[in-house]
Amino acid sequence: MEHAIQNPARRTFIKASALVGGGLALGVSLPSMAHQHLGSDFNPSAFIHLYKNGDVVLFCGRCEMGQGISTALPAAVADEMEADWSRVTVKQGEGNAEKYGPQATGGSASIVTMYEPMRQAGATAKLMLIAAAAKVWRVSAEECEASNHVVIHTPSQKTLGYGELAELAAVQEVVEAPTLKDKSQFKYIGKALPRHDQSMVVVGERTYGVDTKVPGMRYAAIVHCPVLGGKLKSLDDTDARAVAGVIDVVTIPRLDVPFGSVGGVAVVADNSWTAQKAVKALVVEWESGPNGNYDTKAYRAQLIANVEKPAEKVAERGDLTAAFETAEHKVSATYTGGHLCHAPMEPNASVVWVKDGSAEVWASTQSPEDIQNVLGDYLGIEPKDVYVHVMMSGGAFGRKFKCDYVQEAAAISKHINAPVQLIWTREEDMRTGYYHSINAQHIEASMDADGNVTGWLHRAAFPSISSLFNPALERAPANSLGEIENHPFGIANLRSETGEAPAHTRIGWYRAVYAIFYGFAYGSIADELAHKAGMDTVTFLHKLYDNNKNPEHKEQVARSKAVLQLAADKAGFGRKLPPGEGIGIAVHHSFRSYVAMAVHVRVTGDKIEVLNVDCAVDCGQVLNKDGATAQQEGAVVMGMSLSLYTEIVFKNGAVVNSNFHDYPVLRINEMPNVRVHFVDSDYPPTGLGEPGVAPFPAALTNAIFAASGTRHRDLPIKPMAI
Amino acid sequence: MSSVTINGKEYPIDVAPDMPLLWFLRDRLELTGTKFGCGSGLCGACTVHIDGTATRSCVMPISAVAGRSITTIEGLSENGDHPVQKAWLKHQVPQCGYCQAGQIMNAASFLANNKQPSEQDIEAAMQGNICRCGTYQRIKLAIADAADELAKEV
Repeated sequence: MEHAIQNPARRTFIKASALVGGGLALGVSLPSMAHQHLGSDFNPSAFIHLYKNGDVVLFCGRCEMGQGISTALPAAVADEMEADWSRVTVKQGEGNAEKYGPQATGGSASIVTMYEPMRQAGATAKLMLIAAAAKVWRVSAEECEASNHVVIHTPSQKTLGYGELAELAAVQEVVEAPTLKDKSQFKYIGKALPRHDQSMVVVGERTYGVDTKVPGMRYAAIVHCPVLGGKLKSLDDTDARAVAGVIDVVTIPRLDVPFGSVGGVAVVADNSWTAQKAVKALVVEWESGPNGNYDTKAYRAQLIANVEKPAEKVAERGDLTAAFETAEHKVSATYTGGHLCHAPMEPNASVVWVKDGSAEVWASTQSPEDIQNVLGDYLGIEPKDVYVHVMMSGGAFGRKFKCDYVQEAAAISKHINAPVQLIWTREEDMRTGYYHSINAQHIEASMDADGNVTGWLHRAAFPSISSLFNPALERAPANSLGEIENHPFGIANLRSETGEAPAHTRIGWYRAVYAIFYGFAYGSIADELAHKAGMDTVTFLHKLYDNNKNPEHKEQVARSKAVLQLAADKAGFGRKLPPGEGIGIAVHHSFRSYVAMAVHVRVTGDKIEVLNVDCAVDCGQVLNKDGATAQQEGAVVMGMSLSLYTEIVFKNGAVVNSNFHDYPVLRINEMPNVRVHFVDSDYPPTGLGEPGVAPFPAALTNAIFAASGTRHRDLPIKPMAI
Repeated sequence: MSSVTINGKEYPIDVAPDMPLLWFLRDRLELTGTKFGCGSGLCGACTVHIDGTATRSCVMPISAVAGRSITTIEGLSENGDHPVQKAWLKHQVPQCGYCQAGQIMNAASFLANNKQPSEQDIEAAMQGNICRCGTYQRIKLAIADAADELAKEV
């Protein structure tokens, strides 16, 4: 028996049904899925299962890669449901947007998209349990309340457990527009909750995509075409086929779609090691194609040249020429950064089993929908016939949004007619990425005698993510520079321009995306301007925000200023420090959240030690305080890696780096003391996976300047000579 | 045929002698708790104990461990209650968790040999283990805690 209601105000749709064997199942349909509301496809098994023994299983439709979403969202359900968290098990939903809503997990959007619907589902379940209890007791539901997995009849203090009520609850009417809790009533939301899967992790039982085992499964390794757009010239696989245990060699042509293979040669064997060994025995020659001359050293120099001369206008306001003519001070600077690869600890891996008219996939992924679409197209089957088991990702940071590695496994499985696990080696992972944009930004800013910024010319040049979808793009499109005209700094006269920057490799989302380099440029030049004006950076930044008179920016200004002051206070910005030490500060608003960082360094000659980092965060209502704190700690580590050391270098069209010895991510011996401070905010919750990375690079380089007088404008500060 | 003891159980070595221990564990025995990260001994994700000493299993040929005793994350403790595991839970160390088996195995071996580690000792001992999520601060706190716990047990 099924019931359904529609809440027209929010267009969220909740549907309840009985579980097989008794119990309550409750599903939610999101506004974006509205067209399916009354269709028979709507499977109500999503999200909440309450069993007769009182066990609750909550499904997480968003992909988990370590960011903690599979704890934060179910905890919001449990809170509204008045469920006992210790009775709750969390399961990862399979790839099914009809059941779970949009699952493509990126842009720090999970909390923004799912928070309200999840709470509504929990609140609805609670009301149905109360209705069931009221029926048993033959009393009015208004005399009952729910708390910690039981319903209580308040006048008599009789109780019934959720398990006992599960079956009856399933046939109660679905309550329309349930009232959600007030913040003061939260039990789990905003508290420090343990992650649901930690006890499995510490005993090695948490299984990731790479851990999948399927009966009859073969193992594959691959070597890719090293240059984008190149192709196979010759292949001699005699030695590879001679390796004991090798089953087949499969040539995979380039699939010219954004998330398709760049082309490669795979070896299939009876274990991963044999496959990897045999790949090394392949004699392969590649034709480089049009990108064979790509050289990042020369390219960065070209980007600098392109932003230090007039470029294509994107946006303009006020009268910049007049502002520059009447300026008391002018500061101009060019900031650059290199390509980055995500390098999650789990390299790309999946198991694919192509069958007759369907395919089954086990993958660490951020976007099961893209797997369904890409494989559907590639195999000539319906996306819905691609069943995706969404596996835990051993880190992703944007890389596993793109399913080229899954499509390759599909090509191999199709060829050998068996399930196959393709694991990329670290070298292939590093050399076949979707890299963060190499970039250059040139800013010229003018000030009056009182340190008010009067004009701002901002030129940016970087191969954009849009180039992945339109390789003919000569420069980043206007919407990739939207950040500049919308930045909450108060600048009356402004002009933004985009410089020539064609892409010669695949560009992709990397944790914090463009906010990495915008945050660096904005945070750096603010510090440079403050010094020019003879003011401390915190006072200068407050003034810069206060000068923003755009009423639409009122909230952004207030929240930016609040995190700025909080970070400054916690770090003791402005206090006297020993010689060689300095504190730098930067603020950045991205992905709807606000983060300020104060970085305290000690500089001794060439040695840079990061001692303390104070992070001030306004992400609205915090869901899991411990998880949110962990995201900031991680953002600092990623920020340090990319500020100090990591850069992907291309020569002759191909990546030179190969493994962690020449892509030196941060190690524990350089870990600073990170302190995370949250603004107690009543704003709706916003994401945290990415925003923390953005202010770090500028806060660090500002600190180095304060400590040593050296201004670093090019990232990474200490590139490896490779 | 030579054999190797893994978590107290003896297994024949029935694979190519140059197969690294990591792949013997993962593909032959399907013990997947030990992770593949770099394949070159650079990241520590594959750390196991060989006769009690933390070793990178991705660069250790199976033939070299014949007759020896291996402990993996699955065999570190009976009930997941090694002081290092408990400290990891207390400090909620893992984010994605992928590197943590290697971190835990490395820390357990280190603490067996250094009962009162300083912060510098911990950093030096754990430098070979990369965590891309950035859990280092919690790892340091958890190891210090586990050291205190181990000191009580003696």
